[in-house]
Amino acid sequence: MSAAITRRQALKGIVGVGGTVIGALATSAGADEHPAHPVAPPDAVSMLYDNTICTGCKACMVACSEANDLPPDTALSGGLWHMPLDLNSKTKNIIKLYEEPDGTDFAYVKRQCMHCLDPACVTGCPFGALKKSRFGAVTWNGSLCIGCRYCEVACPFDVPKFEWDHWNPKIVKCEFCFDQRLEQNQQPACTGVCPTGAVIFGKRMDLLAKAKERIAASPNKYFEQRVYGEHEAGGTQVLYLSCVAFEKIGLPKLGSTSLGHYATKVTSVIYKWFSGPILVAGLLGVAIKRNWDRHEAERPEVEKQTGLPEQL
Amino acid sequence: MSMSSTPDTTGTTLINHWQRGVPVFREPVVTPRLLFFAALAALGLSLALVRFFSPLGPFSGMNDVYAWGIWKTFNVMTLTALGSGPLAVGMAAWVFNRQKLHVVMRTALVSGFLFYATGLVALGFDVGRAWNFYSVVLPWRWNAESAMLEICICMPLYCAVFLAFENLPLIVERFYYTGTDATKAFLHLCAPTVRRIYPFVIIGAYVLPMMHQSALGGLLLLAGEKIHPLWQTPFLPLLYLLAAVLCGLGFVTFLLLIACLRYLRALDLGVLEELGNLLSIVCFLFLAVRFGDLVWRGQLHSAFALDKWSVLFLIETALILIPAVALRSRAVRETPRTLLNMATLACLGGMFYRFIPTTIAFTPARNASYFPALPEVLMTVGYIALGIVTFGLAVKYFAVLPGEIGEWNYMFRLVRGRRAAARPEGETQWPASL
Repeated sequence: MSAAITRRQALKGIVGVGGTVIGALATSAGADEHPAHPVAPPDAVSMLYDNTICTGCKACMVACSEANDLPPDTALSGGLWHMPLDLNSKTKNIIKLYEEPDGTDFAYVKRQCMHCLDPACVTGCPFGALKKSRFGAVTWNGSLCIGCRYCEVACPFDVPKFEWDHWNPKIVKCEFCFDQRLEQNQQPACTGVCPTGAVIFGKRMDLLAKAKERIAASPNKYFEQRVYGEHEAGGTQVLYLSCVAFEKIGLPKLGSTSLGHYATKVTSVIYKWFSGPILVAGLLGVAIKRNWDRHEAERPEVEKQTGLPEQL
Repeated sequence: MSMSSTPDTTGTTLINHWQRGVPVFREPVVTPRLLFFAALAALGLSLALVRFFSPLGPFSGMNDVYAWGIWKTFNVMTLTALGSGPLAVGMAAWVFNRQKLHVVMRTALVSGFLFYATGLVALGFDVGRAWNFYSVVLPWRWNAESAMLEICICMPLYCAVFLAFENLPLIVERFYYTGTDATKAFLHLCAPTVRRIYPFVIIGAYVLPMMHQSALGGLLLLAGEKIHPLWQTPFLPLLYLLAAVLCGLGFVTFLLLIACLRYLRALDLGVLEELGNLLSIVCFLFLAVRFGDLVWRGQLHSAFALDKWSVLFLIETALILIPAVALRSRAVRETPRTLLNMATLACLGGMFYRFIPTTIAFTPARNASYFPALPEVLMTVGYIALGIVTFGLAVKYFAVLPGEIGEWNYMFRLVRGRRAAARPEGETQWPASL
């Protein structure tokens, strides 16, 4: 049997594929849909939350529930009022209190979807139920969602929530009041109702500039002299200023590279024009054809010897 | 087939025992053990049916932080690696021309199909809005950059079309021997067509699992820093694919040994030795990429920090390193007991690698934990039991397990003798267990 060629050739083939992939990687490093550090489009809207101004009145939570038709989460209040512990399937927006262990200091934080510039949930969503809509709002379309919950696994801020107690479960997350208000040229319910201006609405570039002005004006007020959300996970459209460390109020320490970029930088090259799979199929085809033809050529002889039809 | 198995070297220690697939015909189809597994499968599937009309909450320990439970992380992410035998053994046989391995392909194909099919059933009852899955045939809805989309399309397609086609010959074969003359004539007519398209189908049958087995690792990339740096790496897709090949080879070896012991089949150590050899090579390849990646990312120190994660990593690595080294010895490969032990270790190591980053090393900075709820476990066990029952039936109804040609001929003589009165003399008949 002349078996010696194929193994070596197939190995050569694999080396060839590897070389091609590396070559393609090297040449196409520029143009991609997920830049490591995405730039906000000019129409990107934003909220800026400053916990040195917030009084923790929770008016934004009530306004949010009202605008989004959310039922109250009354598990902790004995059925009396909306009292969630965290973002959940009945809560798209929450004010939480952080207290230093020794009780010397405290800070509020408002949590809702961060509306990332390059959201991991949108990159992962198989049928585009989650998408980056106009103004950069990340919205959810129930008629496209299969309930795989990949968005929950992907989101670095733990924002999307799943209705575990519904037979027809929805993904619940802040959508920037997109349908109800943003599309009607109104600002979201939470920023609209905030009595102190702790959370304000505007264009991202304006609010980013404003946040930096506030830091410049009174640097000692802010624990880290920077704006959370400017660079985190490639940048978010919700921006934060805080008097305590961001990590203490539950905003995770993240790199500045977008997760979409990290997750697709290799595969987007391999799957470009489907070239990787086609190339592998071609190489396999050459080896399989050779071995198949040899197999078929030897078959009649073997079948004659054994007196039995060959089994595939 | 005989040319592809070990040359007959009777008189030495190697005897060519595996020449073609032969059904298990010396014992009854229904055994207490089969009924036990059938009961487990029935329980799991009944729960799954109830689950379809009920929310996910009461059926699982999942929560918003650990949104994926064992149906995804074990039944799919881990067990389809064991079901990658058709990829691993098929590639070895048809691409790398290891002709000896053709005879064990059917064992790989049937077990692989069952792992995939039960995994897909598990997925069907795991997703919350399964009725929207029809989007999979509407390309304008596809989010082409999503690894989840790749899996949504590729896994069902592979299982329902490619694996099913590869499993077709052994079903057709049974119809050929049991059918009427008209059936036989029809099958004679179809056979050349099947043979003509077969080599093209197997190209797809290797490209598709390469794509979705790597995409399973690709899924975890988006989880980013939630996964411990010992496991979170851009090499996840490649490592997941290598682990699939590793588990595929390991599990086929394991299954052949276990099934042949159970059904008192002679072992063909020439074929098993070849599987052990390939398994060792793939183990080394996996470890080379695993450690190369750790060095490249500068994470080697955390592998030996001897904290919780490091210990987990070292156990996982040892489970793969031990068989890799041991199986370099021909004596180990040719001793059924040691080969079984090493194949088991390799399977466990591969399964550890596939499971750990999805759940144990998945540690978002939140106060949350996940442990599967009882119905969740019963459903997982049910899906596995369904696979075991189907495999137990398949080896008796179809020519799956490899055996000797003498055994095949004996099977027909036995049946002819037993049914002499009812059957015209000379007609071949399928086994008595039917």
